[in-house]
Amino acid sequence: MNGIIGGIAALIVGGGLASATVFGVVSSQTGTSGDSPANVNQPVIPYGSTD
Amino acid sequence: MRSLLPWAWSFVLAALLLGPALAPGYLLSYDMVWVPDLALRPDFLGVGSALPRAVPSDAVVAVLDEVIPGMVLQKVVLLGSLVSAGAGSAALVRGSMLTRMAVSTFVVWNPFVVERLLLGHWPVLLGYAVLPWLILVARRGRESGPGPALCLLVPLGSLSAGAGLVTALVVLGFGWSGRLRQDMRLFALLLAGNAPWIFSGLLHVGEATSDARAATLFALHGEGHLPAPLAALGMGGIWNAEVVPATRAGVLGVVMTVLIVVVAAAGFSRWLREETRRDRWVQVVLWCIGWGWAVFTWAASDATGWLVSHVPAGGLLRDGSRLLALCLPLFIVLLAHGAHVLRARVRDEAAALITAVGLVLVPIALMPDAAWGVSGDLAAVDFPDGYDAARVAMDGHRDGTGADGDVVVLPFSAYRAPTWNHGRKVLDPLPRFLDRDYVSNDELVVDDVLIRGEDPRVPEVRDALGLPTAQERARALAELGIGFVVFDSSGPHDGLADGPDDRPGIAGDVIVDEGPVRVVALAGVSGRSTPLAWSWVAGLGWALFVGLVVVGSMGRVVRGRTRQV
Repeated sequence: MNGIIGGIAALIVGGGLASATVFGVVSSQTGTSGDSPANVNQPVIPYGSTD
Repeated sequence: MRSLLPWAWSFVLAALLLGPALAPGYLLSYDMVWVPDLALRPDFLGVGSALPRAVPSDAVVAVLDEVIPGMVLQKVVLLGSLVSAGAGSAALVRGSMLTRMAVSTFVVWNPFVVERLLLGHWPVLLGYAVLPWLILVARRGRESGPGPALCLLVPLGSLSAGAGLVTALVVLGFGWSGRLRQDMRLFALLLAGNAPWIFSGLLHVGEATSDARAATLFALHGEGHLPAPLAALGMGGIWNAEVVPATRAGVLGVVMTVLIVVVAAAGFSRWLREETRRDRWVQVVLWCIGWGWAVFTWAASDATGWLVSHVPAGGLLRDGSRLLALCLPLFIVLLAHGAHVLRARVRDEAAALITAVGLVLVPIALMPDAAWGVSGDLAAVDFPDGYDAARVAMDGHRDGTGADGDVVVLPFSAYRAPTWNHGRKVLDPLPRFLDRDYVSNDELVVDDVLIRGEDPRVPEVRDALGLPTAQERARALAELGIGFVVFDSSGPHDGLADGPDDRPGIAGDVIVDEGPVRVVALAGVSGRSTPLAWSWVAGLGWALFVGLVVVGSMGRVVRGRTRQV
């Protein structure tokens, strides 16, 4: 019985961690990044942006 | 051996987070500028015309890199900060090894650490890393009085004004004994540990107010789906969206915040039972100050704008989320109790173990893009050859009057995004690479808004650069004590070129023209001296700071020998 519960828990926790990681990696690679490469030809490089 | 596990786990986390930043080279990101050999100069001691923003951190690095090369020192500081934060938080709590390791993960792998790292605020991170250890020794010192460990940890946690403020509040909270003489010693210790920036700040009190617009721009901000107050619950909410990991803007940011709240709530009852009343109060008060101030900057930016523009040193508080470090004591203990309770609630042993392991790993799973130098945003680079050539040439140069003069780097703007740094933004590193005092433009641009700087020499230099001819510019700059004008073509173009080759129109001797760097030495440079009183005041501050470190070191040695005997 313990083995079954442990297996289910492992499945849930491991599956959750794996899904979150895959989702996070995919979304971080495909989402719009706020950190666009700065244009070195700009007269002033802004310190940052709040948007 | 088991006691080394939190250190080992924290090391793994730190190495995974820093990734390519640990490769040979220098990590240059926003305000983080490290160079091979930072030269100690009067400005770093706090007697220059600019506000002492990098006092005492720059001077401490300048001294230490005489022993340890700057490149190695930077990695030791960054890696050491993260490892110390993780291991210190594990040492602060009781419970199973997995519970303590889970706390280490939450403390190292959170938005506060990642965002401050990207923004280059290493003294803030060092102060954050020292906090758990400060709590341990300050609590111990409540009975026996402040010991040598506190004399060493306080200076380490006070390498910038903001970090020093957090360090002082934590030490006062946990170390205040109610016995007058002992508390006066504690207060004196904190004053000595923060003396360089306090004393230098007093010298600059006339210029120590900031542009009110900065308060709105640097206030706590929301992240993705999280409004600002909720972002701050999960230690996020930095003003600069450019340094927020992409996952924080998505649903995972919400999940992480919910998880932190759920784990903390699960540990609430146990926290009430297990912690002393005194410690509970201190943890709650510090959390309220940290989170409360952050939210206040978001909710009442007009009020903070008035504060920073009217009260000297009010600018210390303009960065809303920086004080979130004060939330760390309660954050650590609630998460530890919560992890313990959640594990205990699972009856099945195997399932309980898996739950505990899950809690150790879940922060990484919810912010995976923080790994490997925040998805490659943190990477070590080498400086261009022209930098070395400029330093060597300027070392041996004296003008006809024998004066050295300070340096101005053109384009006259604070930040760069050089191609040799892979286009990543960084505070102009060239002045720090050289070994002279410099005038650096301290005006900042955020959201197309220009935030006024405080250094009175900046408008004077800008006026001189605005004169119509190369000869007039050179003469005016020399009268201001500027001996060298360096044009760095890897910076943004400033439109100051007289000729077709995009070079600055400043009359003088070209002593270096290599790579992106061209150095023009000016003639007839006026000497610039520091008022004697300033030297005495700053010297007193440094004497207190160094004295504290010496007392702490000697105390440790004496204690070590006594134990051996």
